[in-house]
Amino acid sequence: MDSGLFIPNLRSDLSRIISEHSTIFIKSYGNGTLATPSFRGTSAQHTQVEWNGISLNSPMLGQMDFSQVPVSQFDGLEILYGAAGIARTSGAFGGIVDLITMPDWNNRINVLASQSIGSFSIYTTNLNLCFGSEKLQSHTKWNFTSAQNDFPFTNNNGVEVKQENASYYQYGLSQELFWKFKNRHLFSAKVWLSEDNRNLPPTTSNLDTNKTEKIHDRAVRAVLEYKLVDKGYNLLIRSALNDQYMNYSNSTIDMNSVHQTYSWINRIRFTWSKIKNLKIKPGIDFTYDWVRSDDYSGRKTRSLTSLFVELNYSFNKHFHSSLVLREDIIDFSLNPLIAALGVEYKPFNKYNFMLNLNLARNYRYPTLNDLYWQGAGNPDLKPELSYSTEAGTTFNWESKNKIVYLESNITGYYTWLYDMITWSPVEGNSALFKPENIDEIHARGIEAGLNLLLRISGFTIGWKNNYHFCRSTYEKANSTYDQKIGKQQIYIPENTLNSTLSIEKWKFFLNYNFFYVSARYTGKDNLTMMPGYNLSNIIFGKNITLKNFILSLQLDINNLFDLDYQSVASRPMPGINYSITVKLGFSGTKN
Amino acid sequence: MKIPTPLIHRYILYTKLLLFFGLIASCTKDPVREVTVSPPDTTTVPVSYKNGIFIINEGNYNWGNASVSVILPDKNLVIQDIFQKANSRSLGDVAESMKIKNNLGYLIVNNSNRIEVVTVDNFKSLTTIPGLNSPRFMEFVDSTKAYITNLQKNITVIDLRSNTISKVIKTATWTENLLKYDRYMLVTSIGKFSDPTSDRVPVVYVIDTQTDQIIDSILTGKEPIGMVIDKKQKVWVLCSGGYDNFEQPSLLRINPELRIIEKKFTFTEIGKVPSKLCINPTGDTLYYLNGGVYMMAVSASALPSQSLIPSEGRLLYGLAIHPLTGHIFVSDAKDYVQNGTAYQYNHTGTLLKEFQTGRIPGSFCFSESKSK
Repeated sequence: MDSGLFIPNLRSDLSRIISEHSTIFIKSYGNGTLATPSFRGTSAQHTQVEWNGISLNSPMLGQMDFSQVPVSQFDGLEILYGAAGIARTSGAFGGIVDLITMPDWNNRINVLASQSIGSFSIYTTNLNLCFGSEKLQSHTKWNFTSAQNDFPFTNNNGVEVKQENASYYQYGLSQELFWKFKNRHLFSAKVWLSEDNRNLPPTTSNLDTNKTEKIHDRAVRAVLEYKLVDKGYNLLIRSALNDQYMNYSNSTIDMNSVHQTYSWINRIRFTWSKIKNLKIKPGIDFTYDWVRSDDYSGRKTRSLTSLFVELNYSFNKHFHSSLVLREDIIDFSLNPLIAALGVEYKPFNKYNFMLNLNLARNYRYPTLNDLYWQGAGNPDLKPELSYSTEAGTTFNWESKNKIVYLESNITGYYTWLYDMITWSPVEGNSALFKPENIDEIHARGIEAGLNLLLRISGFTIGWKNNYHFCRSTYEKANSTYDQKIGKQQIYIPENTLNSTLSIEKWKFFLNYNFFYVSARYTGKDNLTMMPGYNLSNIIFGKNITLKNFILSLQLDINNLFDLDYQSVASRPMPGINYSITVKLGFSGTKN
Repeated sequence: MKIPTPLIHRYILYTKLLLFFGLIASCTKDPVREVTVSPPDTTTVPVSYKNGIFIINEGNYNWGNASVSVILPDKNLVIQDIFQKANSRSLGDVAESMKIKNNLGYLIVNNSNRIEVVTVDNFKSLTTIPGLNSPRFMEFVDSTKAYITNLQKNITVIDLRSNTISKVIKTATWTENLLKYDRYMLVTSIGKFSDPTSDRVPVVYVIDTQTDQIIDSILTGKEPIGMVIDKKQKVWVLCSGGYDNFEQPSLLRINPELRIIEKKFTFTEIGKVPSKLCINPTGDTLYYLNGGVYMMAVSASALPSQSLIPSEGRLLYGLAIHPLTGHIFVSDAKDYVQNGTAYQYNHTGTLLKEFQTGRIPGSFCFSESKSK
């Protein structure tokens, strides 16, 4: 099944890293504000965002805002597409993005300080301290960003103005301990605190506003984990707490509401591989969500118990198969079985060429807002159902002299989504929006990736390309007057292309990123749209090393051709902008 | 000059390649803004909107896609987004309503906090009245003065000679509908916006238009959102009860002279919120939306139990009665995420015509030449 693990370099924008390494479309409402992912023609709620395997999606909203995630807190990023996500959780019809941290047992000490200064008074400071032995490692990471974010843009009346009420700050602190015992036992304890305070800017047509609208988020995430790796079996036990506080206020309408959620997330996984060619992985997950919100009447809770088994069987060294079964129990009621079946075929010994086929059935449960939002929540909602199939090939090749390395993949998918929960106005009460199991969506498309790496006369040249074609259409009308059948889902582009060229030599590095997105419709009748556009970004810098010290200077130029664009209607985006980053590091490794 | 064939081929190839990349790069030229895919009308000849019936399309909150469509009955034509066409800029965010006086159109754009003043004939912008606080509706006191209700606790007084704000009448809460009666302006007030609960105190303010002072108030049912005056000079107030059914909706008949409630009809159906109270040109029949379109004689002793025009799966959202013909204009906002449709019925509910509209058609405005 599709998955990939990437180690990003230290840049500050998660949205960009994700779009460079995948075909996920990020819908961005502006600099430093809401950014939500869409995988394979599905919505943000069909994407699970995780931190070390622990869900970060809000149990209220069912989604995660990427603008709240500082990249410096992570060591890597894992992306699971479609059916592959069933091994982790239910409901991730699109896929899973996992932000991971991991120890480097060879590290003795690693200190890193970086400061970046950007256009529109955006300042980011990161401090990392990682030290330890081959048995014990400690990571401490601190990040702070403050931004005026007052970029100029052309408003609805054609007047150039500066964005107002858009400033934000964000900080995070994490402490992690990893302890390895007898090479078989691994204990880890992690705590991550984060806070941000964001003013929400008015839209380009919301003029003369004297309002202040803002969001204050605070989160504490803590996890304890034990891993046992032995001959023939391994074991994982994990228990995590996720405490998320959110305060939204809007002076225009005298609104000030507080939402507090606690989630207790537990996982036990066992892998048993004593029979040849067979791996059996049973597991159990238990999650308890507790929410107190000004927009719910009273406190709401939900428990989710999930029984899970994965079987991997290899018929021979060419032909592998996997079956995943998951049974979810929500508040003591059984839900329909979730299942995924996958086969993998590697016809050649000589070449790294693989064909794979996956089939899956998956359910997504209503969010707590869908169920309990005061005056609107609908307790009668059914879970959303999806059937999906995908077929793909990957081909990787390295030249014998190791000068050229090539990775390529192409995947076709088809997803049928039924009973999709949509918030719609209620007949006879048009001021009220209610969630209902309304839409039926068919999403099909092709993902293609081509990565080339060349090492020649001291140059390292990388070229990464991701292309995605997606038709995600409405297949059911609400009434005979409804015009949306067969029309593309709003804000889901048909074509996206991301191409990144990077060149390194003499410790200089240059990275050119080209991003193209085709038109996104803004109406379900496909009569209005945001035109397509392309953006170019450049990073240029140099690393200077002296013994154990490293000094790195980096210049980022974003929106190189100063395109005046909006990604989402009426949400301004900045023109050409710059940032300079200075990093100073010291590292000592084993010997 | 003769060009060698291979060179031509190469030239054609290069041109094609350029065109291909041009297609991608061409987007970089113009600002990337929301556009209409294929405008349903292809009108290029200049037309006058003088006798038009204007459909005010609210647009989605914070999407900046408010628009005005116009029906030209003489030409049997409907033209979309006439403000954008005339002024090369979009109308703004959430167009709530429109009023016409002295051949000038006043477009109340709620979340852009302004009023766009246009010449009715061609919809060219004349001026803009900025600095309002989420304006909702407008009513003329006379040819020099108008009142505007706001979400944010006041009534704005406009001087129509200069099209500027001349005064602000402070109120305790959100003000909504207006009706001129004699030398008074009656203004409904819904209560505190942020407190959509049973604590809201709904009233009809009585304002002396000569002094711009609130001189009295009449307590009503929850959310008094509609107000009309009948042939016997009785004021009808429709109280929606609140979007979350905080109380049962009601229709009140007020004696504006004595400032008392004379009659109260209570809606028994739960879950629906009546809205858009209208009256016919002769002032003897009320119309309102409650899912479908309902009709009720002012002399009736009970609320109608059957709709005149059933909704049939439509989201009927805007309603108006033509001030001369008495025809019923009703709009379907669909699911708010596609363009709507407007329907014209005669007064007995027979469908005459239907028209395409923009996003979320919420109200109608009939040109001055045809109004009373």
